[in-house]
Amino acid sequence: MFLAFIAQIVFRYLLNLPTGWTSELTVICWLWLILWGSAFVVRERDEIRFDLVYGAVRPSVRRWMAGMGALALIVLYLWSLPAVWDYVTFMKVQRTAYLKIRYDHLYAIYIVFVIAIVGRYLWLLWAALRGRAPTVAEPGSGGGSL
Amino acid sequence: MNLTDPFVLSIIAIVVLSLLGLPIGHAMIGGSILYLLVAGLDMGTVAEQILNGLYSSYILIAVPLFILAAELMNAGTITHRLLDFCNAIVGRFRGGLALVNVVQSVIFAGMSGSAIADAAGTGKMMQTMMTDRDRYPPAFAAALTAATAVIGPIIPPSIPVVLYALVSDASIGFLFLGGVIPGILMGAVQAGLIVATARRRNFPIEAPVPMRDLPVITLRACPALMMPVVLLGGIYGGATTPTEAAAVAALYALLVSAVLYSSITPGGLYGSLLASARTTASIGMLIAGALVFNYVVTVENIPETLRVFLGGYDLTPLGYLLLVNVILLALGCLLEGTTILLVVVPILIPTARDLGIDLVHFGIVVVINIMIGLITPPYGLLLFIMTSIAGVSLGSLIREVLPFLLAMLAALLLITLVPGTVLWLPRLLGYEN
Repeated sequence: MFLAFIAQIVFRYLLNLPTGWTSELTVICWLWLILWGSAFVVRERDEIRFDLVYGAVRPSVRRWMAGMGALALIVLYLWSLPAVWDYVTFMKVQRTAYLKIRYDHLYAIYIVFVIAIVGRYLWLLWAALRGRAPTVAEPGSGGGSL
Repeated sequence: MNLTDPFVLSIIAIVVLSLLGLPIGHAMIGGSILYLLVAGLDMGTVAEQILNGLYSSYILIAVPLFILAAELMNAGTITHRLLDFCNAIVGRFRGGLALVNVVQSVIFAGMSGSAIADAAGTGKMMQTMMTDRDRYPPAFAAALTAATAVIGPIIPPSIPVVLYALVSDASIGFLFLGGVIPGILMGAVQAGLIVATARRRNFPIEAPVPMRDLPVITLRACPALMMPVVLLGGIYGGATTPTEAAAVAALYALLVSAVLYSSITPGGLYGSLLASARTTASIGMLIAGALVFNYVVTVENIPETLRVFLGGYDLTPLGYLLLVNVILLALGCLLEGTTILLVVVPILIPTARDLGIDLVHFGIVVVINIMIGLITPPYGLLLFIMTSIAGVSLGSLIREVLPFLLAMLAALLLITLVPGTVLWLPRLLGYEN
């Protein structure tokens, strides 16, 4: 979570130095902020979702829906994991232009992201199976930034 | 339409996953993985598209910075001083506070790029002021606040414009300039509506602020009023890129609220940073989903198919623009704006380009549509926010919002029909198309 803050501060103070490495650093921070943030910082009620139907059904139905959705997502993400692993490890042949960071290190955050998301939805699936219906956030509380 | 076609399958998957209540970004990534799986393509492409897409989108970094700038201004007292300033100018007329609401939205729009932030920040303050001592009906105040918040992202800076620039490759600087006049026009339409109904509904007049106090109040609000100048001056003076300008805006907001007005605490700063990190990550997930899905759409050649399909109808540029308006407004009733902007709009752009529609004009029309979509029932984020802030029923809010909605649609029609409303200012500053 703190990484996200540091990233933000780095954005602000370093952006004005017109050298290549600072802009490279900010893009790296941006990439990590999104993937790290959506894996660990974002709360369920912050997510941008289509809740017209989801919010209207009975809690028991919603529990079933949440379970199905979580299961589908876990299967799909896990299925893609080996190929993703290949891609990320393959990227070790390249380094970034200024900081000379190996791309496989840089992109490893995506693996972390996939594993964290699978973990998160396993937990949600477990909660749904245990009979706890997910609560619905107040409409409009999540994901508005326009 | 073949049901086993990978593309059809992935669309069905995305719709079903979204309906099941999954975040839309994840639903799009899931659907795209399914597409690659069924089509027998390399699933590592998902990672490739997301990582390279985010890594090469320098311009997108403006988004979290604009969010942060708005958060900081709401945490500080910048907004209070602005309200004092607006009140001193238009408070003396009938329906004064309602007019203050419009004017402050137009000015605040020059500092913030987010309608949601406007409604939750200054909107909350306006709501309290307007309903204090029963001066205005709560539902009217809430409807007005929702309607004026729409102006926020039309006048630069603007998060939806940054997203549009990303999907269209149009110049972000000229897009920002193009939004200025339409934004002011929207404000004028709303003010006109208030003036027209003020007498009939017997809206109160505020105690006039003496003219001799005006210089002091203006001076107090000055650092806040300078924000748009700093921002736009930076971009058009060529000193900074839009992303750097966004960073400067955030830094400026921090300096003004922390040093000059000393109105922000370390705790408040922490809260602002945390809130903007959360918003950034959730919108970032949507961008990631859109990146993969747009890859699938490109592989399937969908924009080209649409172009050929529409070519058969002999559409004029104007006809196409009107059609786009109808499609986007209809979608805006049901979907969240970022999704429309990142998923639907890229499909519409090639046809617009083909018909010779100016992409800056097209962009502003699209953004206005999406912003109006924030107040169209049944799914309008601004409506939801205002019902929870004002504690009024959705039904009464929708009734009060309707006249504003119609007025804004009229303004939209004018902006669609007369490209000059958008393009005059950019052309003045050297835009050629």
